[in-house]
Amino acid sequence: MTDLLTIQKLSLQYGAHSAVYVEHLVIPAQGCLVLSGENGSGKTSILKILAGLIAPTSAQFSWQNQAYTWKKIKPILRNQVVYLHQHPYLFDMNVAENIAYGLRQQGINKQHITEKVKEALAWANLTHLAERSAKCLSGGEKQRVALTRARVLSPRLLLLDEPTSSMDQQAKAQTYDLIRRLRTEALSIVLTSHEITQADGLGDHYFTLQKKEIVSNSLATQPSTAQQYHTA
Amino acid sequence: MDSFTDIFQQAFALVVSGDTALWTIIWVSVKVSLTALLIATPLALIIAFILAFTRFIGRRLIISSFNVLLAFPSVVVGLIVYLLLARHGLLGDLQLLFTQSAMVIGQVFLCIPILVAMGHAALQAADRRAWETAITLGAPPWRAMLTLMYEVRFALIATVIAGFSRIISEVGSAMMVGGNILGYTRNITTAIALETSKGEFAQGVALGIILLAIALLLNLCLVFFQGRGQIHS
Repeated sequence: MTDLLTIQKLSLQYGAHSAVYVEHLVIPAQGCLVLSGENGSGKTSILKILAGLIAPTSAQFSWQNQAYTWKKIKPILRNQVVYLHQHPYLFDMNVAENIAYGLRQQGINKQHITEKVKEALAWANLTHLAERSAKCLSGGEKQRVALTRARVLSPRLLLLDEPTSSMDQQAKAQTYDLIRRLRTEALSIVLTSHEITQADGLGDHYFTLQKKEIVSNSLATQPSTAQQYHTA
Repeated sequence: MDSFTDIFQQAFALVVSGDTALWTIIWVSVKVSLTALLIATPLALIIAFILAFTRFIGRRLIISSFNVLLAFPSVVVGLIVYLLLARHGLLGDLQLLFTQSAMVIGQVFLCIPILVAMGHAALQAADRRAWETAITLGAPPWRAMLTLMYEVRFALIATVIAGFSRIISEVGSAMMVGGNILGYTRNITTAIALETSKGEFAQGVALGIILLAIALLLNLCLVFFQGRGQIHS
């Protein structure tokens, strides 16, 4: 298994307060990593850094074994990684338009977008909701639409922040099913949860944030060439 | 002097008669204010977005300044623009004083603070997940900004309507930099001031009725869009 993303000595600080610290984290090119930890332990912050949405105070990054600074890796993360919020945000459009949103940013022609959206809706059994306003969906449906909207972009890394929180059992089961199907595709998933256990069979690797720190997830396959980055 | 009832009867007669002079005045008002709004809106909304979504030194001071400018008297704005456009002013060479362009410039300055202040409030209240979602789905920042504005469009439409209400009803700036020239820079408010000073109340009241009708229409739009915004929030 090759490494997709390696992070070393990642630190996020707000003034003197340390929000999160990761000594060593390796994300393989395929499979699902489950990151658990208490509320406020910094799980969301890590995911947002991995998505290129917030800048760490300092970190060393390596993407496919090539070292990058934060400035250089940020556009790669924004292009290759999709982040889903705990309660995914769907735009004030219908479901099909939401799924097409990312494709439209890539400048794909309309006909191709229509075909891809149709295929994506069928993949997630959402075809019957295509014309429904996204604001009128249930929490479970919103999560499935958001997963489909992310998958249609074929990202290398998918970041799911507590994807089944506040869901009933049926919605949870449907979301788990989609995540299991995503695991079989050529992408890597990092999933945070305080309720998913190894018994759910979703993850390939499990690790825990303790006292806002990850020491190592011990998945490194080769010596890291990550490059030191400091914003401070 | 005619009685109150007589004045209103004459005013209504003028409105429905299609009097050319009256409708020219109305057209000048609408044309100048719409042009100013078209120029001010994109600029003000970009400023509002930057103030709502970025952090930099002096940001709070700028926000406070725009809030203070909301209460700026239009006659003072008119005076500043007058000094800029006067023959010996910084922009005197452009020879814009007492033209519709000068009125537009004055109204742009009047309009921007209200658009920035209300636009900032609307964007500040927007769900930040919308911005992050747009970015993570591959939208460049300017597209993500437009997406966010689309998400709060009802509040922004209400902002634009409020901006238009502010400038269509102002008199100080239009009078000072427009010069109240009949058929060219005379608009509803400057005409009302002039006709009243001449004792020609009927035309003043007729124009007042039109202005009130415009204000009523705009406020109905405002209530409609604010209602839509609440439903969707």
